[in-house]
Amino acid sequence: MTEIVRIEVAESRRGLRGRRAEDRLGVFELVRRLDLLLLVSVLAAVGYGLVVIGGITKLSEGGSAAPRQAIYAVVGIVVMCAAIFVDPAIYRRFAGVLYAGLLGLMLLVLATGAVTRGSKRWITAGGFTFQPSEFGKVVLALCLAAFVADRVKRVNDVYLALRTIALAAGPILLVFLQPDFGTALVYGAILAAVLFVSGIRWPQLAAIGGVALLLATAVLWLLPAAGINVLKPYQAARLTGFTHPGSDPSSATYQITQSITTVGAGGVRGRGIVGATQTSLGYLPADSTDFAFASLSEQRGFFGASILLLLYLLIVWRGLRIVASARDLFGAIVAAAIAFGFLFEVYVNVGMTIGIAPITGITLPFVSVGGSSMISNLAAMGILQAIHARGRRRR
Amino acid sequence: MARRERRSRSFLPGDPRVAEPYRLTPQLALRVAVLAALALAVFAVLFLRLWALQVLSGANYLKQANQNRVRTLPIEAQRGLILDRNGRVLVRNTVGWSIELWPADLPKGTSERQSELTELGTVTGLTARQIQKKITEFGSDPLTPIVLRRGIHEDQISYFDEHQLDFPGVRLAQTYQRQYPHESLAAQLLGYVGDITPAELKEQKNKGVEPSDAIGQAGIESSYDAYLRGTDGSSQVTVDSLGQPTSQITPVVTSTPGNDLRLTIDLQVQRAAEKALKYGIDVARASNEPYADGGAIVAMDPRDGSVLAMASYPTYQPSIFVSRDPSKLAPLDNAADEERANYPGFNRAVDVGYPPGSTWKPVTALAAMEEHIISPTTQLLCSPSYTVAGQTFTNWDPNVDSYIDLPTALAESCDTYFYRVGNDFYALPTSTRGHPLQEWASRFGFGEYTGVDIPQASSAQGLVPTPEWRCVHYGGPPCKGYVDRIWKPGYSVQLAIGQGDLLVTPLQMARFYSVLANGGKLVTPHVVGDVEQQTNNPASPTILQRFAAQPPTTVIDDPAALRAVQEGLWEGTHSPIGTSSGVFGNFPVSIAGKTGTAQKLIQLPGYPNPLELNQSWWCGYGPTDSVATIAVCAVIENGGHGGTAAAPAALKVFESYFHKHPPTTTSHISD
Repeated sequence: MTEIVRIEVAESRRGLRGRRAEDRLGVFELVRRLDLLLLVSVLAAVGYGLVVIGGITKLSEGGSAAPRQAIYAVVGIVVMCAAIFVDPAIYRRFAGVLYAGLLGLMLLVLATGAVTRGSKRWITAGGFTFQPSEFGKVVLALCLAAFVADRVKRVNDVYLALRTIALAAGPILLVFLQPDFGTALVYGAILAAVLFVSGIRWPQLAAIGGVALLLATAVLWLLPAAGINVLKPYQAARLTGFTHPGSDPSSATYQITQSITTVGAGGVRGRGIVGATQTSLGYLPADSTDFAFASLSEQRGFFGASILLLLYLLIVWRGLRIVASARDLFGAIVAAAIAFGFLFEVYVNVGMTIGIAPITGITLPFVSVGGSSMISNLAAMGILQAIHARGRRRR
Repeated sequence: MARRERRSRSFLPGDPRVAEPYRLTPQLALRVAVLAALALAVFAVLFLRLWALQVLSGANYLKQANQNRVRTLPIEAQRGLILDRNGRVLVRNTVGWSIELWPADLPKGTSERQSELTELGTVTGLTARQIQKKITEFGSDPLTPIVLRRGIHEDQISYFDEHQLDFPGVRLAQTYQRQYPHESLAAQLLGYVGDITPAELKEQKNKGVEPSDAIGQAGIESSYDAYLRGTDGSSQVTVDSLGQPTSQITPVVTSTPGNDLRLTIDLQVQRAAEKALKYGIDVARASNEPYADGGAIVAMDPRDGSVLAMASYPTYQPSIFVSRDPSKLAPLDNAADEERANYPGFNRAVDVGYPPGSTWKPVTALAAMEEHIISPTTQLLCSPSYTVAGQTFTNWDPNVDSYIDLPTALAESCDTYFYRVGNDFYALPTSTRGHPLQEWASRFGFGEYTGVDIPQASSAQGLVPTPEWRCVHYGGPPCKGYVDRIWKPGYSVQLAIGQGDLLVTPLQMARFYSVLANGGKLVTPHVVGDVEQQTNNPASPTILQRFAAQPPTTVIDDPAALRAVQEGLWEGTHSPIGTSSGVFGNFPVSIAGKTGTAQKLIQLPGYPNPLELNQSWWCGYGPTDSVATIAVCAVIENGGHGGTAAAPAALKVFESYFHKHPPTTTSHISD
């Protein structure tokens, strides 16, 4: 045990110098070492997502969103391919710069961002708008992993955990202020994955988990009872509303009720694009973004929805395998954070449309309309591939 | 650096710290396993829940989706009434039916949809293309109905009732419709109500108006729409997949009816003015003026500018905008039919400028006295003709040749007297001041909007020609060296008797004669007195907002000049030489006024060349022996001499207003 830790330290100190010769791979070698199953599932999910979005937006006023979304997908795939060729150790060496850049961009969003539906999430640059918080998910995973991996010998030190939390708190707070509660939750999930995989002891994890639970309780029930509202009322209503959807059919839980009806009405085979009245008549809000899964379920039924869920399951499974096959702890932590963050997003988004998760503005990976989400998710997949290609050969 | 490492690997045994690969610790393996278990659990939960919703209860939710369609229906607010100054109803509401289209419920298949729209078109009298256009213009929200047609007929209603199932997405809805108890009375002034257009919907002033609403489109209905409109309410109803209601309609927000408008118009005087126009035209035609075919009368209280009557002929029935029968609407919106019907939609009292002829002479007289070109007692030669700069202008009556003063010149309407004054204006040095005659005209409200509270066309400004206008109008600048761009003495001479390019509207003229009647104050004409709300007691409504008459401005400084003009106008209606003494001389109330006979080139339909026809004018006021309470201005298009058509028409208005009649009425033909 001690020996391994020592090697880790040396590796971390040396940074890039710690690379072994066989890690400097030629293009063909890299391509040969890609996780093909992951690649195929990702491409299938992207392709299916385009078909789904085409169906959802076919009858909508602005015309089909699929062509635009396809452009984002192509850009994202290019980014993914580029990411494969970048040795993850580079991210580790420049983690500080990445972290500073992330904070800077988020401050810029708060300072200059355009307000859409009551929150500032986008930056406009050269005619394009993008959402830094989406890319922040990947960057945060890299930074936190680098921070923990560099200090892994102190893994049992309770302060390492606290410092990691403090490090993550900055971006989480800035996203929360936008306000984008959903993405803040995803950042929290990434932090949890980093702490969990870095080897922090169970008692500490339990303590952190306990504190988080207490905090959530306080924010949602105790402080509002005392007259202090940390969350905006609509956020709180959405977070707790899914537990009792019938309570207020006109406002906060309207979306949940409509969404559940939408999903259920799809049945086994779906109602088709024209017959899906919940989607086409506008009963379902945000049918091509946050509630895309509900529209998909209505139009394509249990079969159509299952295809997407199975593809997600494949992606998460391959992601967790890469944790085990990473060449170093940094790669393992990054892979775990990406895989777990992805799982969390899928659960919260799909769960919210079927009434088992709170309503937050989290997108459905590879499906929801939007370029930032598509590109950043594909970039994350590229990093997973990069870790895999440079990882230990199996058997 | 990398190379050195590689070399070191080949020479020495590898550094164990580096060469030793990172291993998957059992601890990490355990945690990855925990994550994997968590992932499996998550997906299991998602699949199970999806299974439960879609496979086990799918049928239930499908039923709910088909039934659970809450529609929000607007409850139309009742429009306010329009009343005359004594509270008599001019415009009210009745309940009618309209055909509404719910785009969400139309058949989804292209061919079925097309055939339904075609069928719908034949019943409603619209083309399928027009319906489709309405859907694309308004149909952004598939749950808001589009009104295809208001005021449909009984037979259309029963047809739709019987064939309800053949028209998914079509619904009959009760609406309020405008009703006009006095038919065509004050049609152009009142305006009408029509469907809101997509462009109007975007305007700020129409905030809160639903796409299915109708708004005021012309006249008072338009300019006071915000008061008349009221606020729509809303109700909710659930409908099935065919758009048929499955629940009672439950009101959510009740509608607030619009407020009533009380006009300054007097129903009786208005009716008299409209009859008088027809009478004036008939008189003109009987006096060998076959082209007399239109006109306008304005009656105004000279004390505050409140309009008592505003008539325009030819006219139309505003109710045709309720039924929207295309054949009846054609004279109002189809160019060829409009011309054939002589433009019944125009409000000639406000929007049409005519050359004023001799009714203009008081303007010239006042300006000349204020500029000290003449005094009330200045004697000028009233000759059969007057020549200036090689151009000869004749007097309407060749049998004159004597020196007369201003009142006499006005009474017998001597043209050559005013030609001389006009030439004097031309001779004034322009360097000291601009153009005094035109400036006085604009001081009296000519050449600009009157400020009346109804929508006006740009032609409502009329036109007071100046040298600058002439140059620009004929393509300048530059002005020098172009014959037609130069202001010649003849233009000043013609302007002095109200001819040439000068154009004034009957309302402007009534406003000017109010100045003469009230002692020199320019008032702002208005047609709406106040906004009211009905109460339980119809006799005493709550007055919400009173539109106080705008304070008049004093425009005549010299009382002697005003007195001279008033004297001339009284002589015009009473002295033996007066041009309308034959009409007003025996009227029990003392009226003062001026005839006008303005030549204008008129292009009549069916004629190759325009004809020079006389526009018959009469303007005046009364009583002159106490405070004047009414000023009237009448124009009969192509009606011949002012004394022939316009003066007898104006007399009818005075008769109605004063409830008095002259012992005998004789027609006296003169200028």
